[in-house]
Amino acid sequence: MFAQMLNELPSFFSYYNLLFFAKALGTTFALSAIGCIVGFTLGFALAAIRLTTHPALTPLRVAVTLFTELFRRIPFLVTLMLVFFVFQAMNADLGMFTVALISVCVIATAFIAEIVRSGLESVHHNQWDAAATLNFSYWQTLRLVVVPQAWKIILPPVFGFFVLFIKDTALASQIGVVELAFAGKTMNNKGFSAALVYGTVLMLYFALSYPLARFGKYLETRLAPTRNR
Amino acid sequence: MQFDFSPVLERLPYLAAGAWLSLQIAFLAFSLGMVIGLAGASVRAYGPRWARALVGAYVVFFTNTPQLIQIFFIFFALPDAGILLSPYQAVLIGMTLNAGAYLAEIQRAGFESVRRPELEAAETLGFSRLQTIRYVILPHIIRVLFPPLSNQYILMTLGTSMAAVFGVEELTGRAYNINAETFRSIEVFSVAAVFYIVITLIATLSLAFIGKRFFRAKMRWF
Repeated sequence: MFAQMLNELPSFFSYYNLLFFAKALGTTFALSAIGCIVGFTLGFALAAIRLTTHPALTPLRVAVTLFTELFRRIPFLVTLMLVFFVFQAMNADLGMFTVALISVCVIATAFIAEIVRSGLESVHHNQWDAAATLNFSYWQTLRLVVVPQAWKIILPPVFGFFVLFIKDTALASQIGVVELAFAGKTMNNKGFSAALVYGTVLMLYFALSYPLARFGKYLETRLAPTRNR
Repeated sequence: MQFDFSPVLERLPYLAAGAWLSLQIAFLAFSLGMVIGLAGASVRAYGPRWARALVGAYVVFFTNTPQLIQIFFIFFALPDAGILLSPYQAVLIGMTLNAGAYLAEIQRAGFESVRRPELEAAETLGFSRLQTIRYVILPHIIRVLFPPLSNQYILMTLGTSMAAVFGVEELTGRAYNINAETFRSIEVFSVAAVFYIVITLIATLSLAFIGKRFFRAKMRWF
């Protein structure tokens, strides 16, 4: 097994194969990065909507709550298939990358909305009341009172989620997006031994995820919440 | 666009049987992962330096690479070394190893949460070692560990859908089959999604109930 792998090494690390892997790594990175940014923005917005109390916004709140609660309970693979077939039924002419990107954003939004919500709720209710007494608007309360106290609680689990999330993008290979997992399958089909191919893919994912995980750990210790809240 | 759920609803028992298999995989992988995790966490807390480093490397490697590729590796690379596994076995082993890494990390955090003053208080009260474990350490650890463990269990239930990629006929795998038979794609996958939602809702609610009722864990219903 190992002798065979050694034989394959020169042809495996040929210029075009390396280029192929680099492109695949780029796709995985793009999927995760765009998903993280969009997910964080939308997730924050959804959490902010969910914490409003105005009666006129009740339908919106219900819709947001349903969205987060449901999509956190559907496996990514099933979400991916649903998005894929819904766009197909709508005759939308979208590339596979776009389809994967949309499902990635949907799932990131749902999960991050929940993290942000519990972070915002961790700020003591007296703070909300005090802000209301000072006649702060909802937006002012969030911006000037709640978020400055909550972001330390929110950031570490958000980075924890990003790390989980990079690895979930591997499932995008199932609808044919040429990212790392798909590149691995292709190379394996070309006849390179599975241990070599998937070992390389594992290492590449590791290189992508480990720095982020370390950064999340660093944030966790650095931003350790104070006990007096 | 017209929806026709009848071909899917006819095959509801078939899907339900798949859901049962999903639950079995999640439960098995979680239980076995708990054993690995407990061993790993104990080694990391009390083991010799080299063993700690070894377990640390295992945890870092498995939590930073995708489960899908880990199972790919087990399923496609191990046969070259003469180990032939069925898809079900490969998925189960992959999920167990992956869960073991996460659960080791979670349990380690639980071990570390026992504070020294608590142990000293137990000593002052004249507790024996066994009594300390039974009345001070265990209740504390379970209370702290229960919420993240149940969360991990829910995530693992969702993770079982990955088995479909290897042709295991669990919930998602059977949804694939029905899709290939009837071409009612949106209907099939939305019904499968509802199955997952119901399964995880039941799991969340019952775990929250158990945690609140028996271990005084701080948990929310949702």
